[in-house]
Order: sequence, then structure tokens, then C-alpha cells
Amino acid sequence: MAGKIRLLIVDDEIKFLDSIAQRLEMRGLDITKATNGKDAVEIARTRKFDLALLDLKMPGMDGKQVLEILKKEHKYIEVIILTGHGSMDSAVDCTKLGAFSYLPKPYELDKLLEILKQAYESRLKKKFESDQSRIQKLTDLAQGTSALGILKAMRELDDDEK
Amino acid sequence: MFRQVEKPSLPPDRADKTVAGFVSFAPEHYREMKRKNTVRLLITYIGPLLILIVYFFFQYDSLYNESRQLHLKAIAENQANTFDLFLSERLVNISNLIDDPKLDLPPSRPAMENYLDYLRRISEAFVDIGFFDSAGIQAAYAGPFPSLEKVNYSTEEWYLELKRRPKQYIISDIYLGFRRQPHFTIAVSRIIEDQYIALRATLEPDKIYEYIQSLEGANEVITSIVNHEGQYQVVTSHMVNPLTNAAFVPPRDVRHGVGEAKLEVAEVPYAYSWLKNADWALMVIWVNPQPGGFFAGHRPKLMIISLAMLLLGLLIVLYRARKVTDLYIESEQTRAQLEHASKLASVGELAAGIAHEINNPLAAINEEAGLMKDLIDPQFGRDLTRDEISRRLDSIQESVFRCRDITRKLLGFVRQTDFDLRRHDLHGLINDVVDGILGPGMVISNIEIVKKYNLEIPEFTTDGNQLRQVLLNLIMNGIDALEGIPGQIVITTGRVEHNLYVAVADTGKGISPENMDKIFLPFFTTKGVGKGTGLGLSVSYGIIKSLGGRIEVKSSPGKGSVFTITLPLD
Repeated sequence: MAGKIRLLIVDDEIKFLDSIAQRLEMRGLDITKATNGKDAVEIARTRKFDLALLDLKMPGMDGKQVLEILKKEHKYIEVIILTGHGSMDSAVDCTKLGAFSYLPKPYELDKLLEILKQAYESRLKKKFESDQSRIQKLTDLAQGTSALGILKAMRELDDDEK
Repeated sequence: MFRQVEKPSLPPDRADKTVAGFVSFAPEHYREMKRKNTVRLLITYIGPLLILIVYFFFQYDSLYNESRQLHLKAIAENQANTFDLFLSERLVNISNLIDDPKLDLPPSRPAMENYLDYLRRISEAFVDIGFFDSAGIQAAYAGPFPSLEKVNYSTEEWYLELKRRPKQYIISDIYLGFRRQPHFTIAVSRIIEDQYIALRATLEPDKIYEYIQSLEGANEVITSIVNHEGQYQVVTSHMVNPLTNAAFVPPRDVRHGVGEAKLEVAEVPYAYSWLKNADWALMVIWVNPQPGGFFAGHRPKLMIISLAMLLLGLLIVLYRARKVTDLYIESEQTRAQLEHASKLASVGELAAGIAHEINNPLAAINEEAGLMKDLIDPQFGRDLTRDEISRRLDSIQESVFRCRDITRKLLGFVRQTDFDLRRHDLHGLINDVVDGILGPGMVISNIEIVKKYNLEIPEFTTDGNQLRQVLLNLIMNGIDALEGIPGQIVITTGRVEHNLYVAVADTGKGISPENMDKIFLPFFTTKGVGKGTGLGLSVSYGIIKSLGGRIEVKSSPGKGSVFTITLPLD
């Protein structure tokens, strides 16, 4: 858990994707790039990410769909939406679907970094609270019960880690 | 030589995914529609009804006439039998007298008076009675014509006929005879004591007519009797006098039958039946020669009902045709409103689209610039090489050009009213685009551009630059649709009445049905980032509309699309 923040960036503008990735890497983030929604979902299934930065308008699977899948398949991931769209309506929709925040393009990098920091904190907090309750549950289950109960509780914890 | 482009199919039957370039309809269109609807409904509603009514009338009439004829025939036979019986009885009456063993030769006058009394008691038709000796002299007589006594009848027709016949009786046709009054004779002959004697009675036609009238009864028929020559024997005095010729002579060889007789006014069906005892035919016709029967009283009523039904049908048809047309107009209006709403929406979409299309390159520029700043920031301890700078600047410029393209096309989108109208040759404009702008590139990409020109199109007034722009857009779209696969772009021109058309057909991937409604919207594109702005078709649409024409598309996914521009000739 210690170490770099693992960030998945998804955008169909390859040049933009390259430079933002390079800049964030220089600031110590662990960056993975995807140029479309489908790839992003596939990559997220093989590796764990703390955060995802999604462009809203992409050909094929758009940001909103990717958001829904990521939130469904990964418990703690926080998603930040990037949009070039003048209207904020769809971005607001996304926060209702569980996006942590949204940022209109073009943005100032400091602003993005601030949001990434907040999102990471939020993710850690969620993870921590969840772990606490799991530990409590584990303790409850383990107290005065059989080895089977302990095993069961441990399995639940495993599942949760996925 | 060139293919006729189908006339634009009109909504709501847009089943083949035709986006008619937002055509609105003239009032004539609705009138025409209403007319068609009315005619269609008239044919389907009133037609069968009318046919049914006519069929009913005709069928009923013919059936009725047939049954009337049969009825008439039955009446004729029946009356003929009765009348035959009447004649037989009269014959028997006279035979009884001649066979009377107390008959004197010749009988005395009181005896004759007795005989006459006897006969007249039986039938009032008897007028007188006479006895004829072997010389044919009326030897004894009783009746109102005593002067006939002793008259020689040996040359009278009935007497000669009686003598000639093997049968011992005769019933004569009507004749005037010595008394100069129409009458019939019933005579019987015997040979008694080697003497040929005959006894005859005469009958009054009027009385026989009365008898026949009693047969007519409530049958509503007029009965008359004719002889084999067609001479009336007994007939109503309203019609004609006896001894005149009837308008019709029934055929002698068929005993009973029906026929059509020409009376003063019309063809009248009659029935006849030949008698057994006399060479006469009894004929009947209807009192009212016009077929009526069931209809006689009901015909006007039926006519009124039929007319009312027709009128009602007509009203329903008109009402329904109106209703259908109203519904259609209403749906058209709804469609127009919807279109208007979608146009309003597309203005909003336009703004959002512009923002998106420009914000994205701006974000890219921002990142490139930021990255360069980072690279020269000592904090990160990196080097910014000459190559790196050049690459970043190229990328920035590219993004700037993207923005410029968009604003340039937007100007075209907004400034649709500034036209430079001149006389142009349509094919010249197409050639400018195909040979001038696209030209050599096509050979390399294995795309064949086929021109099917209709050279009868005259020069017309238009904005050449704008139209070239539209043609270029359409051809470029066609090329993009081919996706690098060798294929054809077919450009067809033609003329329909006062319009010319240009159709640009490709053999490419086609347009999916769900995209069909969106292709004319600004910023709608299926091409990748930086490849299409989504403005080509919407700008083209705007230009063509401003030039007074329309642009339509037909497409089948996987086979290709056809964009057709229609422009008015001057």
C-alpha cells in the first residue's frame, strides 16, 4: 500500500495523454495510460488502481460507462472526470454515479493535483474505515468460536481485498 | 445512361431510413392527400354498397319476373281448364237435348222454348236454340231472333265444318252470322232415322266474358281468348273489340307457355294455354304490366332507404377522409415542432460542441506548455532537448490548427446568407472538385470516381464556391466511408422538371440506422479525434437549404450511401 499513488488515465487524445502522464510521473505518481474505455476496463481488471482519471467524451465506451464499470468492479477506486464539454450537466451526472469530482478542460495542473490528493485521501479513508469494520467483524467472529469461524472471516477479508 | 434518382419518399413512411432534408409540405400536398384518401375510401366503402344495391335490385327484379311468369302460366292453365270444363258442360247440355228420346223431328216450338229455358237456367250465356234438318234448314227455333227460322244454313261455315268433322260437335269462333251480332255457336249433330240432324245453341260473348271475369277473380290478371289466327274471341271491351286481331298469337305447337307481347306502351309478359274443346287459346296478362310485386308498394321506400344508406356512407367516408387527413396534418405539425425543438437543441449542442472541440486542443496545448515548463524546472532536474522542444511546439501548433479549422467552418456555418451568385455549369463545378481538388490522390487510394452526367442540364445561378464546398464534403465523406478499401464513388446528375439533382453514391460502410437522424447535426461525427469536426454535413445542409434546395440521404449499412442534392433551376 505504501508508495506511489496508482493512477489510470483514460483519454482518446494521445498527445494530451502522453504529456499529462509524463508530468504526473515527474510528480511521483504511478501512471497507466489507456486510449479508450474498453482498454481501461480490461487493464483495471488485471491491476489495482487507487484513482482513475477519465475523459468523458470518447468513441466507443464513453467516460460515464467506464465510470460505472469501475465503480462496480472495484470497491475503493475514486474516479475523477475530465470534460471538454462546455456544459457541466453530464459531469454532474457522473458525480451522482459515484465520481469523486470533475474538472473542466483545460485546467491548471495544481488544481488537478489538489483534486487527486483529495481523492486519494478519500480512498484511503474509505479503505481504512472498511478495514476497521472488517477487523471488528473478524474479532467478533473469532471470539469464542471455532477455527472455522476464523477461517470464514479471513476469507471475507480476502474477498474484500480484491 | 444515368440512373433516375427516386423521388423523395415522404414521411411518415420513412421506413427505409431516409432523412428527407427536413421537407415541409405545401398545402397542395395536403389537398392532394385528402383527395386521394377520399377517393380510396369512396371506392372501399361506397363501391361495394352500390354494387350490392344494384345487384339486389336487378337480381330481385329478374327473380321476381321469373316467378311472376310462372305464376301467370299457372293462372292461364288453371283458367283454361276451368273454361274447357265450362265449354264441355255447355256441349253436354246440348248433347243431352239432341239425345233426348222424346225429341221430335223437327221439335215443336213449345219443345224448343222448353229446351231454351232449360239451357238458360243452366247458363245465362245461352241466347237461343235451333234445330236443323238434313238440308241444313233451321226447322225449329226458340230465342230472340225468330226471323232466323226456316233460314238455310247449309252454306254457313260452322255447319259445313260440323258436317266435315268426324266429331259430332263444333264450337265455332266468334262470328256475326245472319243476325249481324257477334256470337258463338255450339252445335252437335246426330244421324237419327237416317236423317242428319243438328242442334245448335248460340252463346253471347259478353256473358262468356262475364264468366271469364269471374275466373279472373282476385288474380289481378286480364284474361282474353284468341283463336288460332290470333283473332280476339272474348276480350274485355276496355282493351279492344272482339274479332280484332290480337297483338300476339301464341304458338300453336306448345300447349302452355309464356311470352312477351308488345302492347301499346311496353313489352308485357303473357301466359297462354290452348283449350281442348275449341281451337282457342286462353291468354292472361297482368292488370298492372309493370313488375311490382313486393316492390310495387315498397319500391319508393326501398329507393329512399338505399339513397339514405349511400348518403350515410358518403358522409362517413367524407368524415373519415377528413379525419385521416387532419390526423396526418397534425402528425406533420408535431413532426415539424419536434424538428424545431431539435433545431433549438442543436443550437445548445452547437455551443457545447464548440466548447468541447476547442477545449480539448486547448487542454493539449496547456499540457504541452506545462510539460515544457516542468522540463526546464530545476526542481525536476530534467533536460529539455532541442528535439523535445520542437516536438512539443509541433504538437501545440497542431492543436492550434485544429481550433482554427473549427472556427473557420463555424464561420461557414453561421455566414450562410452571404452568397456570391453567378451563372455556373453544374458539371464544371463537379469537375473542379473531382479533378482539381481531389484529382491525383484518388488513383493512389484505389478509388474510382465515376461520372454519370446528364448533359441536358443548363447553366444555373448559384454560389459556385459554396456548392463546390458541399460537393467536396460529400465526396470526402464517401471516400472516408470506403475506409481505404478500393471502391467507387458514383456522381450522377439529372433533371426532374424544374430541379436538378446531384447524387453522390459510395460503396462504403453505410450509415447505421441509429446515426441516421444525427448526421446533419453539428459536431456529430463517427470519425476519430482530429479526423472529423462533425461540421461537414451540417454546413452542407445549411448551404443547400440557403440555395433553395434540399439534401437527402439513403443508406444501407455495409453497402453504401447515396447523398442527393436537389436544387431549383432558375
